[in-house]
Parts: sequence; C-alpha cells; structure tokens
Amino acid sequence: MHSKNSIVSIKSYLDLSQLLNEYRGSHEDNRTFALKYKNSENKSPTELILKWLDKNYFRIDGELNSKRYLDYLLSISSLLGLIFFILGFIVGLGLLSYDGKLPVNVIYYLFIAMFIPLLSMTLSAISIFATDRVSYIITLLFPLHWIEKLLSYIPFRKKVKGFKINLSFKISRLLFIERLQLFSLIFSIGLLLSLLIMVIATDIAFGWSTTLQVSPEAFHELIRYIAIFWDKIIPSAIPSLDLVEISHYFRLGEKLDISMVHNADRLGAWWKFLAMTTLVYAIGFRLLFWLFTKEYLKRRLEESILSLNGVDKILREFKTPYISTQAPKKERHLKIVEAKKEVVVKKREAKYQTILGWNFSKDEILLANDAKKIDRADNIWAVGGSNSFNRDLEIVKNSTGTVLLYVKSWEPPTMDFIDILEMLIENSSVLRVEILPLGTIGKYYKNEEEHIDIWRRKIESVDSQKVWIINHDR
Amino acid sequence: MIDKKNSYPKFAVVGHPNKGKSSIVSALAHDDTVQIGNTPGTTQVKRGFPLKVDGKIIYELFDTPGFQRARRILAWLEDNRPVSADKRADTIREFIYNFRDDERFRDEIELLEPIMNGAGIIYVVDASKPYGAEYEIEMEILRWTGQPSMAILNLIGDEDYREDWSRALGQYFRLVRTFNPLKAKFKNHIELLESIAQLKEDWTDSIKDAIDILQKFHNQKIDRTVEIIKDTTIKSLSYQYRHKIKSKSATKEEYILASKRYRRELIKYEKKLEKDILEIWKHKNVEMIETAPLINDIGLFSKESESIFGLSQKELILTGASAGAISGAGIDLALGGGTFFLGSLVGGVVGGVGAMVGFDNLYNIKLMGQKIGKRELIVGPMKSHNFPYILLGRALYYASTLANRSHAIRDTLKLDDREFFIEKVIDSRMRRRVENIHSKLRDKKEPNEELLEEYREVILESFKKLI
Repeated sequence: MHSKNSIVSIKSYLDLSQLLNEYRGSHEDNRTFALKYKNSENKSPTELILKWLDKNYFRIDGELNSKRYLDYLLSISSLLGLIFFILGFIVGLGLLSYDGKLPVNVIYYLFIAMFIPLLSMTLSAISIFATDRVSYIITLLFPLHWIEKLLSYIPFRKKVKGFKINLSFKISRLLFIERLQLFSLIFSIGLLLSLLIMVIATDIAFGWSTTLQVSPEAFHELIRYIAIFWDKIIPSAIPSLDLVEISHYFRLGEKLDISMVHNADRLGAWWKFLAMTTLVYAIGFRLLFWLFTKEYLKRRLEESILSLNGVDKILREFKTPYISTQAPKKERHLKIVEAKKEVVVKKREAKYQTILGWNFSKDEILLANDAKKIDRADNIWAVGGSNSFNRDLEIVKNSTGTVLLYVKSWEPPTMDFIDILEMLIENSSVLRVEILPLGTIGKYYKNEEEHIDIWRRKIESVDSQKVWIINHDR
Repeated sequence: MIDKKNSYPKFAVVGHPNKGKSSIVSALAHDDTVQIGNTPGTTQVKRGFPLKVDGKIIYELFDTPGFQRARRILAWLEDNRPVSADKRADTIREFIYNFRDDERFRDEIELLEPIMNGAGIIYVVDASKPYGAEYEIEMEILRWTGQPSMAILNLIGDEDYREDWSRALGQYFRLVRTFNPLKAKFKNHIELLESIAQLKEDWTDSIKDAIDILQKFHNQKIDRTVEIIKDTTIKSLSYQYRHKIKSKSATKEEYILASKRYRRELIKYEKKLEKDILEIWKHKNVEMIETAPLINDIGLFSKESESIFGLSQKELILTGASAGAISGAGIDLALGGGTFFLGSLVGGVVGGVGAMVGFDNLYNIKLMGQKIGKRELIVGPMKSHNFPYILLGRALYYASTLANRSHAIRDTLKLDDREFFIEKVIDSRMRRRVENIHSKLRDKKEPNEELLEEYREVILESFKKLI
C-alpha cells in the first residue's frame, strides 16, 4: 500500500519520476481522467498531476524507489541527528567547563551560539540562490557534506546504490541545505541543554576577555544590540553595564581581578543572556530558516515535478480535447479465393450466335462490333442498364450457341450481372459464354490489366466450364 | 420523436461497387486501417466512423457495401409503389423488414439501413469513367428514401467525364462536388464538410462545430509535430557521448567505437521522431521504402543526405557569415560604433570560415580527465554548421510527407524526394534566426526561452510552407 500524495514531496517527486519511466497514459486515458475531476480547469497542474499519480500507482512494478530512498534518508538522518545533538551537547560542555580559576569567557560561547549560526545561515541562503557551481563550492564548506561523504561507506548506504535516484542537482542541493538546517537546530538544542544542565549542576562564573581594546561600555552596547529581540520581554536577560564592567577580566598570570572575586556571586547572571542568545539566534532563527528552506524546497519541487520528462505531455493531454475519427468496430476483411481454373483467354470465337451488351445500348454494341471487327450475329441484345430484370430473363431464354457478352471493363461485376450470367450458364441452348471487357471509347476500348483481374477473380468464383474472358488487348 | 442521444448527423457513403467509397471514408476519417481493394465487395458490412470529442459524437460517417442487385430492389419497390411520394420511405422500410435475412440483398440492406435511420446520403461515382444509365436505378432507390443527399465525383482514372455526370446527378442530388480522396488535403476535407453542412438545416451547426474541431485537431497535430522536431533537433545537436577508456590514451578502435555510438544515439533520436510523427498523423499502416539517403541507418550522416537536405556551400557560408556578422555587430553596438563597424566585418569573416570548416568536421572528440585518472572520450556536441539544417530538413520532409499523405492511399511510401530544398523551406531570413540557437548549442550553452520560442516559430513557419 502506498500513502496518497496530496502535497508535493520528495516521495511524490520520486514516485512520479518512476511511474513516468514505465507509463505515461494515452491521450484518451489522460483526457478522460482530467474530465472526471470536475472543475479540473481550476485545479493547479501540480494538484492534477498528483491525483493522476495516485490513480496510476498500481502500474509501478516492484518496490518504490522513494521508499528505499526515504528509508535510507530516515536512517541516515536519525543517525546524523543523534550525532549533531551529542556534538552540540559536548561542545556546550566544553565551552562551559569551569575550572574555578578563570571565568568562562562568554565571547567563545557567543561565537558558537550566535556568530556561527548566522554565518551558516547566510552561506546557506547564498547557496540557495547562487548558481550551481557557486552553490557546490559553498556546500563544501559545511561539515555535513563531509560527514555524509564518510557515511557513504557505511553498509546500508549500499542499499540505495542499486538504483538511480532521479533528483536534479538543484533539488539535491536544497534537500541538503534543508537537512543542514535541521541538524544545526538539533545541535543548538544540545548546546542549550548543556548550558541549562551546567547552570543547574555547577556554579559557573562568566566573564569576558579579549585582546582587542574594547571598553565595557562598547561591549555592553554590543550586548544590547544582540539582546534587541528580548529586551522588552525579558529585561533580566540583558547584562547590566555594571555586570559587564565587573566581569571584564585580563589574563595576567593566574590572578583574578579583585573586584571579580568580590562580585563572584553576580558573575553567574550571564547565563540568562547566553540562554536567550542560544534560544533566539541558534534555535529561533534556525527554526525559521529551516521552515523557509522546507517551503522553498516544496516550491522548487513543484516546479521540478512539472518539468519531469513526460509531465508536459500529460498536462497537455489533460487540457486538449480528445478527438477521434476512427471506427470502433474492427473491419471484417474480405477473403480472396484462389483461382481453380484459368478463365482468361486471348483468342475469341470466329462467329457468335448471340451478342449481348451488359449495360450497353444496342447502338453501343454495334459500335463495339465494328471496332472489334465482329460480324453480325443472329441476335444482338442490350442487357442490364435500364432493362427490367424480367426483360433480361426473356433475352437469356432466347440466347443460343456461343454468346459474346460485352461488359464495361471498369465496372466490376455486380451480383445482378452474376445472376444473369448464371442463367445463361443454365440455359442448355447456350454452349459457351465469352465475356469481352471493353475499355472506354476515349481509350479506343482498350482495357486495363487491373480491371481484367477484377473480372477474372469474379468469374473464377462462378466456376463454370462455359464461361471465358477474352482479353486480346494483351 | 428525436432521440437526443443519437441526434448527431450521420452520413452514409454509398454507391456502385469499387467507386472509392472506402477511400473517401478513409480520407475523411483519417483512418488508414479501412480495407480498400479493387475487388468488388471489399466492404461487406457497414462500418461507422464517428467524429468524437471527449466521447461525444459530433457526426458519424458510414462506409457501406456497394449496390449489387439494385434492379431487383427497384422492381420490388415499383411493385409495391405507394399512392403518394411521402410513403416511399415506408416502402423502403418494408423492403428492409421483409428481406433482412435474405442473403441476396445483404449488401443493399447494409447500405439502406443507416439511411433509413436518418443518415444523409453521400453518393460516390467515378467521374473518370463514362456515365451509364444503370446508375439511375441506384439513384432512384436513394431518391425513394427521401433523405438529404449529395453526390461526390471521384476521379479514380485519368479521363474526365465530370460534365456528363454532373448533368445526370444534378437531377437526383441537391449538391454535386468533386473530391479526390487520394489527393485530398486538409483544406479539401474542410471544403467537403462545408458542402455537407448545406444538406440539411438541422445539421449545419453540428457540421460547423465539426469543422472547428477538425481545424483544432489539425492545428494540434501541427503544433505537436513542430514541438517534436524542435526538441529532437536541440537534443541531437547538444548531445554528448561519454566513452570510458582503459589506458592513458585512447586507441584508434576506441575513437571509432565512441564515434559510432554517438552517431547511433543521434539515429535513435531520429527514429523516435519518425515514430512520433507517424503516431501524430495517425498513419498506422503505412509501409515505407527506406532509400539510402533518407531513412536507413547510414542516411543521416551520408553525403547524399547532406546534398539533399543540407544547405549549399554558398548558402552555408552566407548563413555563417550573416550569423557571425550579427555577433560582430553586437561588438560594434557595445562600443557605440566606435569600431567603424569593423566588428561586423570581422564577425562575418570568422562566421564564414567556421561554416566552411563545418562541412567536413561534424563533431569533436576530446580525451578528458587524463590527469585525474577518470579518462573518457567525449564526443559532441555537433559542431558542423550544416548538420542542424540536415536534421531539420529530414524531419520537415518526413513530417510534411506524412501530413500531406491521404489516409486513403495504400501504396508504399517511398521517401526519396530529391526535389526538397531546405533553402526554400528555411529562407535566409529564417536561417539568421535559427543560427543563434545553433551557435549556442555548438558552444554547449543552454538556449533561453526566448530563443527556443523563436526556433519553434521558424520550424512552424517552414512546416506550414510544406503542408
């Protein structure tokens, strides 16, 4: 069973890509599908294509590539999530470890909890909007890239190596950046947790120290800027100038400033500021940026889904009326019977007792006689044409001896003709019937081979020893 | 009572045997599966060809068997002649009822049934043969049906007796039109439908709708053909084949193999294009003779193909020169004409020389990755200046031949037209437009949407010239 794809996701993208390799539907099927969804004109192309995917899931043979890929992604993401959380926690512990001699320098902590996240988010943003080449170079700066490279050697990675994941570079890059934000968020949660645990479990003296010539006033000003997001909500989480002044220390041997020692109980007050910095910059901003990358990835997936090979064809077929002009019923084909005897002869009889003209007038028969140098016969009659059937019966009865039957070579023999011919055959006074197919007067009665063939096939089917076709034009 | 479900117009194509009824239906229905034979009685039962849009029938054509025993039917009708003309159709119905199971009148019943169910009559005759009185019997029977009717003069042979036929047919049919299904183009098809629309007032709107639909259908086919030609040409011109090699440098055999595989892929693209075009134009059963320069596997890269479908050396140089001049002019413009338009001159010369080189050097083969150990031969993209025109020429020739081919033709299609001149189909103005995209593809650059649209327009314009 598969889950329905109502929104664009990596799963729907991969499933559609896999389906399109196997099936794209006919115009008729796709148009019928689109018409089934009322108001489909108003639906977005992405929605329609996802519905089409849902309807045609059953056509995907074997395991879904998306399942294998997402299972792999989940396993690796869970592992990486755990690693980043532990890493965040350990980094926190490291930064806040207080040996009782020197205070914990808040500048280090600010570097990790604020500067690095802001830098990483800026680079991520550049990577999202930059060209492929620049984006790739930026990706190399992130440890996640190298960790994933290393993880490619772990055993279950091989499971997804067997098939090709059809993700474009753009989508792969966005997926990487989106996951980077998630892991960074988890890292920061680990960092914050370690801060809280350390604050609860130990008594930390915070201070600040720098080689640069920074006055406590300037440092305090900087801190106020950093705390701008919470100065109205939690003013206690902003160190006072007094605190900044007393927590400023210089690394002169092992000795602490005497004022620091006197105010040791106040130095721990920095933790609120550090916790808020972590919460706002490393967690809050990161969360927002993560949601943004998720949404951005979704949008790009929507675009990419529409540019998958084959989607344009399906969408065009959704919109285009299906026009058919062809017959739904299969044709019953005519069986052509092979000849049993040769009925076409070149030589005709010297004299005829009866001359008939099928669909010729008597004048036309006389004209043909003249052209073909045929002597007058005892009887010359016009048959077919506008004669009644009974009149033809009478002519057939009165026919005797060898009968010459003129026919229009271009007019194929109808069953009406065959009926008359069969009656002639049945007439015992008729000894022989010679059919002479004539061409048009325009062509001096010269017939065409293909017309003779038509006559030959039909006369062969009559299967009579009395009937012959004369073809002395060949 | 009007049956709403079956209220669309129907037309029965009837006539004497072997007068081209099936050919006419085949041409009008764009269906080359209809059996057409010179043996009378090829069509044994009536067969409907509905024009459907999304399942809705707009009109239906019926191919019917020819009249076989018309005289006997008319004799029966005369024997049962009603007192008034308005009852004649009933007499026909009575005939059908009485003789439905009579094998002798099977063909006539097959052809009369759709007419008595409301189909208009399209009576087909061969006007290249003389008129004969025997046809009057068939026409008289059809007159008894009382249905709207028209006659089509089909010229099967090389003589012309249309005048005689028109005089006779005019006495029986409201309209007489000439239509040659073997030569008919889409325009003639539409003209015939416009005539049919005049047969009955009730049918006019449906037939007009059908004309609109068929126009759209035809335009869809053109658009799809152009799109496929555009996509295939771009894909072929930008294609690169990567061939992994074993040692540090490639052997001669590896060069040959890589080159062969590259060419094979381009041939595959062309074959796919041909298959798609056959499908678009609904030619399912067309048989082709594959003549050397055109279709067979060596054709695409042959000298013959180049001479038929490519540009002449002169035109090629001019095209290269003008395209080069355009880029040169760009330099001039960028420098505000300060170069005294030397840019155009230099660009023209460079473009022209490039075009000449393109005649013999089709594509590059480069050996890559020697230092990093991932050694491969890269073949392509196509660098010849003439090859794009050969590809376009072949595709346009193939597509236009099929688009112009009537579905009534059953002869083998011989693709060997040496009269095809790409220079006429894609003139110098159009060449200047397409050369922009060709040069981008040669430089492995992706053309933007604007250029792609321009390319499509040029292909469309050239294709329309041919159909």
